[in-house]
Amino acid sequence: MRRIFVYIISLFLCLAVSSTDAQKKKQIIVPPDSTRLFNGFTVQLDVASLASSALTNSSTYSTEGALQIDLKHRIFPTLELGVAGANKTTADNINYKTNGMFERIGVDFNLRKRKKDAKPTNNLFIAGLRLGMSNFNYNVTNVVIPENYWGAGDPINYMNQSSTKIWYEIVAGVQVEVFKNFYMGWTIRDKNLISSDVTGKVAPWFIPGFGLNNGTSWGFNYTLGYHFWPQKKNAKNNKVFIDQKKINKQIINK
Amino acid sequence: MKKSIFIVLIFSILLNVSCNTDETCTQSKYVKLTAGFYHPHYNDTTKVLTVTSLQIDSLTVQGIKYDTLTHKYHLIDSLLFNNDKSKLSSIDLPLNNFATQSMFRFTLNSVVDTVTIYHTYFNNYLSLECGCLVTHSIDTVITTHHYIDSVQIKIRDVNTTKVENLRIYNHDKPIK
Repeated sequence: MRRIFVYIISLFLCLAVSSTDAQKKKQIIVPPDSTRLFNGFTVQLDVASLASSALTNSSTYSTEGALQIDLKHRIFPTLELGVAGANKTTADNINYKTNGMFERIGVDFNLRKRKKDAKPTNNLFIAGLRLGMSNFNYNVTNVVIPENYWGAGDPINYMNQSSTKIWYEIVAGVQVEVFKNFYMGWTIRDKNLISSDVTGKVAPWFIPGFGLNNGTSWGFNYTLGYHFWPQKKNAKNNKVFIDQKKINKQIINK
Repeated sequence: MKKSIFIVLIFSILLNVSCNTDETCTQSKYVKLTAGFYHPHYNDTTKVLTVTSLQIDSLTVQGIKYDTLTHKYHLIDSLLFNNDKSKLSSIDLPLNNFATQSMFRFTLNSVVDTVTIYHTYFNNYLSLECGCLVTHSIDTVITTHHYIDSVQIKIRDVNTTKVENLRIYNHDKPIK
């Protein structure tokens, strides 16, 4: 089921990327103003985590959204907020249950360099960093003490355990404007825990926003976003101004 | 640009597929007390005590459990060692995970002794896959003295590390 989901997502992505050129021809692209500091902001929703939770029989779920600010169309400070949880029962009937919020703060950089003669575009090839944090409670129940020669005992329940985890993520991905102000994109993330488990404490199995508590983890986000750009209306005037400049130059040359 | 997008995409898919969780426990959960048999010999002329490893010709070990309902001790049906004639010089014994006392009935070369080990037990949560591990710390050991002369605690902590926790010394001549 997980594989089917991955193939569906990848097919969707391929179609999105390959159809970008076709869309470019149809849509009117308003070029981003790289001289202006604030170029609006994008509100994003991660559909990969949503679809994964719905389609697979996974014992974990996650929902998250993001706010991305466009500074000079090069630097993108990003705030990500989400809710995640797990309800996992092992083959030995040990159950792990958690629900918690997480937040990530970081910055993305647009690595795409625009050639002088290239058409203006809002598509991004991004790389960035995140600092993630989650404070959550969890229960580990029905932990059976192994039966030995002397017999078996009652299972142990570890209730209301709490933990705060901090991690960093290295992010890379693409973001494409598919319709006017409507963006689709994906990122892959290399996640690394900074805070380690306290010796003697019941360690969490799943960390909201991070994944399984293995020290390192990989993440995949597929986002849908809408760009709010209050100054965009004035961009047309800017374009006219640039054209006027060209005309002036031509007159001088003549 | 397009090529690099596809390369990263394929890598991400491969990673996503390959990152399946492994639910098998790979950690060792084998916790047993190890006891070695020794024979002390004191030379009167040289006045030197020598201790040599002792091989038991015939060994039977059985647990004795305290019944909280009847308030009586009774032998556990199954035997840990049943007339073992493989000339053992050390044995592994399981300690009780739910009590602070483990009692064993030793039959060493047809001579019976009872060894009582008082210990503290600790429940250590390992992980969701592995569950719990119980380790022990030996407090005291009491024994009868028919074949066994004395018991020495070498290492108190009983955990997954295999070390000699106890040394059981015999008499030169067993008292029957």
